Amino acid sequence: MGASNQGKNQLPRSTEQYLTFLTAGEEYAISIVKVSEIVEYEAVTVVPNTPIWIRGVTNLRGKVVPVVDLAVKFGLPASGISKFSCIIITEIMFQGEMMTMGVLADSVSQVMDLSADEIEPTPPFGTRVKTEYLLGMGALGKKFCLILDIDRVLSADELLAMTESVTDDAAIGCRSKAASAFARHAEAGA
Amino acid sequence: MDLADFDRDAVLASFVVESEEGLDLMEQVLVQMESSPSDPELLHSIFRVAHTIKGNATSLGFNDLAGFAHVVEDLLDVFREQQALPTADLISLLLEAVDELRSMIAGATAGARELTPAQQELKKEIALEAEKRSKTAVVAGEVAASSGAAVKVDGLPNANHRTLRADVEKLDHMLNLTGEIVIAQGRLRRMIEKLGTEQGSAILEMHREAERLYMDLQSEVMSIRMVPIGPLFRQFIRSVRDMAKSHGKLARLEVIGEDVEVDTTVLEQLKDPLLHLVRNAVDHGLEKPVVRKSQGKNPSGLIRLSAAHSGGNIIVTLQDDGAGFDRARILEKARRLGLVSGKDDIRDEELFGLVFHAGFTTAESVTDLSGRGVGLDVVRRNIDGLRGTVDIASTQGKGTTITIRLPLTLAIIEGFSVKVGNETFVVPLEHVTECMELPEEQRNSEETGIFSVRGNAIPYVRLRRMFSLTGAAPKRENIVVVKMNEFHAGIAVDELLGGMQTVVKPLGKALRGIPGIAGSTVLGDGRVGLIIDVPSLLRGVMQASLQAQA
Repeated sequence: MGASNQGKNQLPRSTEQYLTFLTAGEEYAISIVKVSEIVEYEAVTVVPNTPIWIRGVTNLRGKVVPVVDLAVKFGLPASGISKFSCIIITEIMFQGEMMTMGVLADSVSQVMDLSADEIEPTPPFGTRVKTEYLLGMGALGKKFCLILDIDRVLSADELLAMTESVTDDAAIGCRSKAASAFARHAEAGA
Repeated sequence: MDLADFDRDAVLASFVVESEEGLDLMEQVLVQMESSPSDPELLHSIFRVAHTIKGNATSLGFNDLAGFAHVVEDLLDVFREQQALPTADLISLLLEAVDELRSMIAGATAGARELTPAQQELKKEIALEAEKRSKTAVVAGEVAASSGAAVKVDGLPNANHRTLRADVEKLDHMLNLTGEIVIAQGRLRRMIEKLGTEQGSAILEMHREAERLYMDLQSEVMSIRMVPIGPLFRQFIRSVRDMAKSHGKLARLEVIGEDVEVDTTVLEQLKDPLLHLVRNAVDHGLEKPVVRKSQGKNPSGLIRLSAAHSGGNIIVTLQDDGAGFDRARILEKARRLGLVSGKDDIRDEELFGLVFHAGFTTAESVTDLSGRGVGLDVVRRNIDGLRGTVDIASTQGKGTTITIRLPLTLAIIEGFSVKVGNETFVVPLEHVTECMELPEEQRNSEETGIFSVRGNAIPYVRLRRMFSLTGAAPKRENIVVVKMNEFHAGIAVDELLGGMQTVVKPLGKALRGIPGIAGSTVLGDGRVGLIIDVPSLLRGVMQASLQAQA
């Protein structure tokens, strides 16, 4: 594997390997350095009060790993599950520590080599994905695949914003008549 | 990294650990010397600490650090040779030196080898004191106990066991693996039981044998994670001394039950909340010596930290003989914050529990220690995070007792599993009091409702609605009755699955702090199940309903 430690948002200088996968009809690529393994899609447990793009958590040999649905994250309907569905296990930096995160993919396509001059800079508009999430675009025959800066897609800010929204969600209103009873007990029991 | 580098790193790491331990001991002894200055054995032990740090620092090439340790050693030597008695000022000076040594050691290992000007200054001062005193004879009389805080500790820990340092992460990993084995064994047993053949029952017999061995192993793994609570308690000796001194108060810290053992993770997370509470006791609890005298109390306030086992729990109590809570003021403040309605008949423990609300303070002035209304809510959040409870009892004029009840370990809990739709949830068994079917006539489809248990109206929350789970409610619903402090509530679920040992797995940094969820576990079928955080779940519903009415 060539140059492995790329700085954030920096274009790769020499040839690097990328894993390409399909999500919501679009081809994406992640630097293979970030990928630790690919597992078959297994039952994902929904975690309440989290953003919709967190599909849930799954059991990876005893480790509980969050699974992200990029389609939802990019503003599209949730991915369906087929026999090709799989979870790409990535290691991302979160607040200075490594964290394991699963990325749901409709299917995994290939591992390809891309040298620096095969990667086009991201145009200022025209992509479905926010440009700040992209490292560039790789030529894939006549089409392009979007090279994701996966650290940034699943970045601390995004996740922190998530925990904040979670706290807001906690204040879901209680509209039933029983609410008053709860409140009465709340005074007594808090 | 070549071998030499690696060796040096290892040496540095052990230097840091050893020095830290030594300095902790020195700190405790110094504080103790204020009240009983005459124990030569103790003095000798901390003289050795300074000496060891000096020696190690020299051999590692930290000459400035060694020089500093040298003057400290000189001053301690003066005491050791009985040429002077340690006065409160000298003790303060030495405690300052301990703090500086800590930062110097951290600095030196990170590459900053030179002393800061402030440290140079302190070094000179210590050297001067040592020189001055080594020439004069002992003048009997004035001893440290006349000012500042005195601290009583029964003996110092003896650490002469055969021990081995181990990385907590490795212990965590071991525990994780034992948890995995539980799950794998459960699955294996179910498979064997399905065989039903003669051979199958022989295998099953063997499997049971293995399970027994495994249980023994698991309890061993759990036990090596257990550490005595004493060292944590002792850290507060210094804190109490410094805080009392800066507030012109007198305080003693008494420590009971130092041998009580608790899981190392629990211990780590107990430190901050306990420090908050100790601070509060000194700042809000204890009165000034004059006031105490006028009330016929010992001018020196007593703070007692104790630990004891009770069932599967550890109970930590913090007791002070200070002013106690001012009921009227707390009630007034609680009203102002809208935490209680007009009535006055609220019970003490309920009222005092309100001080854990964010923004709650009755202190008239903000001090460096407390009064900003931050802290106690953090205390409760931390204790909740440890799946513990905290209660306050207080008598005005007599003092306050805070009782913290914690589980011995966070790693494995007895859980009660329930099903809602396709998802399985685990309710910690310690919160469950009973289960029952929700009677048809008391059902609704709202998020919350009321049902009756032996004539008592009990509110319940419907998990399906609360967690926005998909799917229609089944024909019959069940209720798990849970208890939080003295408050009962129900959790409405689809199905009751029963009790089981549950290995707790954190949800990780990304999904931390989700209201109502304490963590996760891997279920028998390999899926992930979520563990319900009962206090946070109920508090969430209560807050929401209070807001809805406001």
